[in-house]
Parts: sequence; structure tokens; C-alpha cells
Amino acid sequence: MRFVDEFRDAELAGALAREILSVVEPGRHYKVMEVCGGHTHSIYKYGVDDLLPENVELVHGPGCPVCVIPMGRVDDGIALAHRDGVIFTCFGDMMRIPGSDGSLLDAKAQGADVRMVYSPLDALRVAQKNPDRDVIFFAIGFETTAPSTALTLKRAKAEGVENFFCMCNHVTIVPPLRALLDSPDLRLDGFVGPGHVSTVVGARPFEFIPADYGKPIVVAGFEPLDILQAIQMILRQLADGRCEVENQYRRVVPYEGNRRALEVMAEVFELRPHFEWRGLGFISQSALRLSDAYADFDAELRWEVPGVRVADPKACQCGEVLKGVIKPWECKVFGTACTPERPIGTCMVSPEGACAAYYNFGRFAREREVV
Amino acid sequence: MTGEHAHCESGHGCITCGDQALEMRVAEVDAVRGLAVCVDDAGHAAEVDVLLVEPALVGERLLVHARVAIARVGAEVAA
Repeated sequence: MRFVDEFRDAELAGALAREILSVVEPGRHYKVMEVCGGHTHSIYKYGVDDLLPENVELVHGPGCPVCVIPMGRVDDGIALAHRDGVIFTCFGDMMRIPGSDGSLLDAKAQGADVRMVYSPLDALRVAQKNPDRDVIFFAIGFETTAPSTALTLKRAKAEGVENFFCMCNHVTIVPPLRALLDSPDLRLDGFVGPGHVSTVVGARPFEFIPADYGKPIVVAGFEPLDILQAIQMILRQLADGRCEVENQYRRVVPYEGNRRALEVMAEVFELRPHFEWRGLGFISQSALRLSDAYADFDAELRWEVPGVRVADPKACQCGEVLKGVIKPWECKVFGTACTPERPIGTCMVSPEGACAAYYNFGRFAREREVV
Repeated sequence: MTGEHAHCESGHGCITCGDQALEMRVAEVDAVRGLAVCVDDAGHAAEVDVLLVEPALVGERLLVHARVAIARVGAEVAA
């Protein structure tokens, strides 16, 4: 299959693995974080980590949008879903995220009209088909998804749709990376940068990582050879004593991003002063809300939401997994009380969550010896 | 494919929730509405918003996320 097979070629993978072996220093332990949950999923789906030397450790970052949503926001969504006359729409994974008293799927079972959609545009179509109902879209995702929400809100405004609302939970990628780099319990050598977020924001916003923290970052695609090559490029930078932003995913990612998408986002959204991230706490200017021009579509202005801050379950160690401090199988409830069928923590819900990736691809426990 | 009938193919990762995106080929363009019918490698067609990559041309490959084309795929872009 063109555009796919060439990025899954076993011989090329072997050659890259040998190159990686040739650039690592024996006795040095390397920790490389893949920021994006999509990378985590690909790494375990294709066994990319099995091709790495044992002293190259992959650490899984906070780049799965459903994994970083705090429980209080889920509760707020469920409260809105239970309102009379409301049709509550969201992406599939979001329906299974546990709130403090059940998930949106449970709310649906209790009678709330909760519907899964593939896109914000689908949610707008639901609103247009049901003019006598209020339709709320639970918007979630990084800068990859935010343009889709923004374009849909622009369409809703242009088409005069008055029964469509958005509960905005979009987050931005740079502030949590800075928070991770400032975290004292995490020592990282480099980053595999998020490929699809970068199609929108470009590679330039990551320049602070080499400039302020002296670490390399390589923006990468999602095929196994993309990820292997990005790791090789990071290790090569380290061997050469360089640290810079490199773009492995040049077939898709322009260094400056998608200017039109950034303009649309700037029109529809504004930065929240602060937003809570699961495991990382409150991070300044790390999330988006609707701008004044789109306030009429803001579900949180249209209805009062509880806004209660809820602590994560004590048994759940998603926070430490999201910061890369522990591996999923080191969590006390991993694979026992917490499974993809009955998740306790968010990292077990989405296939892009580190815990679900480990569970689904059989990584129940594995201690890698450092050479 | 409407929201009411959508389902999440968790075995492949959720293309919307996981910030994944899918490469699709443009089959038809409605330039007035900024929409296109795009087809993925498995032959599934979907209506896609192409306002962010205009002008979208029949036959070219786009990177689609949450029914919005966010980038062109193919020749390397300027560094």
C-alpha cells in the first residue's frame, strides 16, 4: 500500500536499529519521551521498543487528550448531559472516562441523551436536525482538534444555528511540556515531538526546548519507521553534542504550521488563565475557551456547571504515568482492578493512553536491565 | 456516517480522540461550501471540511482529523 508500506519495511527498520546501536554510548542510560499518545500506541502496536538497545528507555508523555482531563470536568459534562432537553455529544473515548459518580456512558444508561460523534461537524448536524433541543458538544483535544471545533463554530454562526453549544476543553501542547521540563523528578534526554499537533502549530513553538532546556526534539510521524528514525535523530544529536528542533515528518509538517488553522483558532478561542491537568495540576494558559465573539455558543456561560474540583481515585497512579515517573505496569491497580473494560484511571480508557497501550499489546510487566 | 451510528474502533486507536489523523484522497470538491468527499485507503468515503487547505484538488492526499483536512500529504514541505 503506497504511503504506508515504505514506512513499515522490516529491512529499513533493521538498518535504523543498527544505526541507533552505533550512536548510543554503552553505560549511558537514555530517556526519550514521546509526547503524543498516538506515538505510544504505535510503539506498542508495532513493537518499536523491541528494536531499541536496552539502555534507551521510552517515557510516555501526556499527549493523550482524554488522559489529561481532570475528573471534575467530566462531572461538569455529566451534569450538563442530565439537563432536560439537552443532547450531549462527544467523541467515543470520552464517554467511558470515569467521573466521580460514573461516566457519560452511565449517564446515558440513566436516561441522559448522550451521543457519540466523530467530529464537531457531526454534532452541528445533530443540532440542525433537532431544532427544538439544545445540543452540546464536549470539545476535547490538542491543537490538532481545536481547528475542527473552531471551523464548526464558525459554520454554526454563519448558518444562524442557535441551539448548538460547546463545552470547551481544548488544551495546548507547549505549557505542559514546559511543566514537565521543570519537574524535579523527571530527567529526560530528548523528545519525540507530536506530529499531528505540529501540522497545525508547526515545529517552531518547540524551539524553547533546546534553547531553554538544552534538549533535542524531533517532530515525528506515526508509522514505525517514522518513530525509529526520530529516535535515531535524537540520539545522533546527543552523540554530536547538539540540541535543536528537527522535523522528521516533513512530508506533512510545515515548520511554520498551518497559518489558516491558527487564524481560525485565534478568532474563535482565547487562552484560559489556567486549567487543571490530571497528574500535572494547574498550568497557566494551557487551555482554550470560546472568545467573546463566540460567547453565545459557550455551554459554560449558557448553563451553570458545578465546577467542583475532584481528587483522582487514591489507587490510581495516572498522574505518575503521565509524567513518565512510573511505567503503567508499576501502578498498583494496572491489569487487575483497572482494565480497558473497567478503567479506574483515564490512561486505561483511550487506546492512546499509556496504560491501555501496555495492556492491549501484552506489556503486563517488563523490567529492562540497563546495560 | 452520522454521529448516532458512529462507533469507536478502539483496536486501531481513535482517530479523533487520540490526536491521530488519517490520510485520505480527495474524490469530489464542493468549493462553494468548502467541503470535499474524501476516501481512505480502505475505500470508506466521508465528507471533509477542506477550508484549511484550500484549494483542495481531486486526487491529492490530505491529512484528515475529526473530518477536517489539516495538511497536504506528499512532497516534503519547506523546512
